[in-house]
Amino acid sequence: MSPTGTVERPSKKAAATASLPGAYAGKLLRVNLSTGKVSAQPWSPEEMRECVGGIGLGAKILYDEVGARVHWDHPDNRLIMATGPLAGLPVWGTGGLTVVTRGALTDGATSTQANGFFGATLKYSGYDAIVIQGQAKKLSYLYINDDTVEIRDAAHLKGKDTWQTQQALEAEHGLSGHRMSVYSIGPAGENLVRFAAIQGDYGHVASKNGCGAVMGKKRLKAVCIVRGTKALTAHDPRGLVQAADEIAHDLKTDPSTSTLYNWGTLFGVTNLYKLGMLPIKNYTTNVTTVNMEDWAPARLRNGFDHRGHQCNACGMHHCHIQVIRHGPHRGELVDEPEYEGWSGAGWTIGLTDAEAVSWLNTRIDRACVDVNEFGWLCGWVMECMEKGYLTDKQVGFRLNWGDVEGAYRLLQMVTKREGFGDVLAEGVKRASEKVGGEAARCAIYTGKGASPRGHDHRGRWDEMLDTATSSNGTMESSNPTFQTEIGLPARINPFDGEQVARLTGGILGRRHFEDSLGGCSFTFRTRVEMLARALSAATGWHYSLDEAMRFGRRTAAILRAFNLRCGIGPELEYPSERYGSQPLDGPAKDHHVLKQWDHMLDVWYETVGYDRKTGKPKRETLKKLGLDWLARDLWGK
Amino acid sequence: MTAPDRPTVTVEVTTWVSKYVGGDGSGPRAFEEPITPGEKLGDLLQRYSMRFPELDAALWDATRTALGEHIEVLVNDAVLGVSHDLGTPLEGGERITLLGQFMGG
Repeated sequence: MSPTGTVERPSKKAAATASLPGAYAGKLLRVNLSTGKVSAQPWSPEEMRECVGGIGLGAKILYDEVGARVHWDHPDNRLIMATGPLAGLPVWGTGGLTVVTRGALTDGATSTQANGFFGATLKYSGYDAIVIQGQAKKLSYLYINDDTVEIRDAAHLKGKDTWQTQQALEAEHGLSGHRMSVYSIGPAGENLVRFAAIQGDYGHVASKNGCGAVMGKKRLKAVCIVRGTKALTAHDPRGLVQAADEIAHDLKTDPSTSTLYNWGTLFGVTNLYKLGMLPIKNYTTNVTTVNMEDWAPARLRNGFDHRGHQCNACGMHHCHIQVIRHGPHRGELVDEPEYEGWSGAGWTIGLTDAEAVSWLNTRIDRACVDVNEFGWLCGWVMECMEKGYLTDKQVGFRLNWGDVEGAYRLLQMVTKREGFGDVLAEGVKRASEKVGGEAARCAIYTGKGASPRGHDHRGRWDEMLDTATSSNGTMESSNPTFQTEIGLPARINPFDGEQVARLTGGILGRRHFEDSLGGCSFTFRTRVEMLARALSAATGWHYSLDEAMRFGRRTAAILRAFNLRCGIGPELEYPSERYGSQPLDGPAKDHHVLKQWDHMLDVWYETVGYDRKTGKPKRETLKKLGLDWLARDLWGK
Repeated sequence: MTAPDRPTVTVEVTTWVSKYVGGDGSGPRAFEEPITPGEKLGDLLQRYSMRFPELDAALWDATRTALGEHIEVLVNDAVLGVSHDLGTPLEGGERITLLGQFMGG
């Protein structure tokens, strides 16, 4: 089957049907791993306006092409690696990758983002997205170099972690730095760990809902894209640069986003601790005796020799590569953890040595599992062993809070599915249900099978509600960002369920728009109006805030319809016992989310215009969104 | 009542907000603020923020009567709306925290 030949070009007739909006490459790369066939599929200007890119495009393909019986591990499942119209343009952070698939943890829709250079290199090669189907007969990787697209043998990459894989491919092709983008799975994906991720360009991870397991099931080790040579043309280059400058100015100077500009997400630990949202030791406490001044961003960053590791066209002081200074891993190069890494590889498992957390976090990325799910899993095992719910014999060794080498040993067991690691590789929900008893009561997950980001959502109800109701295996709406722009209040009482539900439902769609543009969710933490201006200049459309939100809600409705078809309905929209418990201490100790949960769901459903009983978007909601075809699918004529 | 006997509250300014009050934007700064008994939280914040123009611009919305969206105000570790709002009288001894909104994951 491999290598395959040069990709088929679309016919001149098809390519010339209508003039494309600016900024699009104009083609989707179709790859069938079962047959070895690769082809370029043009997509129309009308489809571009309707789907934009990223999650918008991925959701439509998923809905159209993946039926109810095509489960996550079926060869006909699609793995869509999409970028968007702003990718490759001089807007900060526009190397974006959005992975859309039917994921392994929920067996429902997934949308998960990463950055680096994928989006830019793909666009410069002439494609807006890659749609992968089928299953290779043996471990393979996809090589893209402009019109040369080949499915190549990857036997030599078997068992390599993600950084080793990228290094091997760089050596093989004689390319490094920003001249080639590599996104791959690690051993976890090869062994179908249900929370395996896809990592690329040294530290950027599309991590949610087991997208790496889908890639592993397809026996696709990596996607390797040489930076292409094709031109991208913005409709209004001057307007685009102006919009990009204003976004950059906003990020640098706006009080809230200047944090991200200067420190990335390093503020998370100290900030969230203040609010009772830092998850400590698997939600067993919200207080610590650790000196939180040591966790201030400047101390965290300056505790390492470090340098910037920016994504495509990015001017943020966000991503960094750093060197471990002390201890057994002295001299090792690691990725500066995002907040989620400090949380999942650190506080959640009782590990508060910053160098140890940094090291473990990178090991998790290299083995390539979701750091959040691993944190909940490891923290759960630690708590269960402390309380005697799990024994040394069951687990295979003694694992205590904060034991970094033990956590790494557990990671290896999981990624290789060795011993008890085989149970844990199924994720927190399935593993805890299998163990049962008191142990099951300590596990943190949602009814749909996913688990939360690295926050204590018992103090952050909007995120818990979002995680539980979402249709993408993780938070779907994310945090409110400049929400007054769309008529929502600047602040609410975070423990008033009704206010929380109205806000969470009210922002639905914003994130879908962001994640369709081909950029980074951090550099896009600006006003939607600014993003719409950049999109308008790039494409030549007149895109407004209203259209952006409408588009986003349309995409959310399609994902929800897909999940309902997969059998994932409102009956699963609840937190596990521990996830929804009342904190024992800390700032949120007087508040119990479950006391208001049913009312929160009622209000959320009303706000988003979905039917509370069936979970379906209402017919009138779909009609308002221009989704008459989906209304017919869900409600009949 | 003589000045030394006036009740005080602690205004703790943390994270990026601290750069508006003479800090470096990464660690906390604390101020002991005398109050008039019964002074409302909103009035104290207005009075305090007027000393720091950048903070003043970031803390309030355009009307300057309501808070903007990017700085959380906590009283004794609880966000506004739980035990206090801007109209709640202060007794003295409260710890008021100005916390920069955290965006990111």
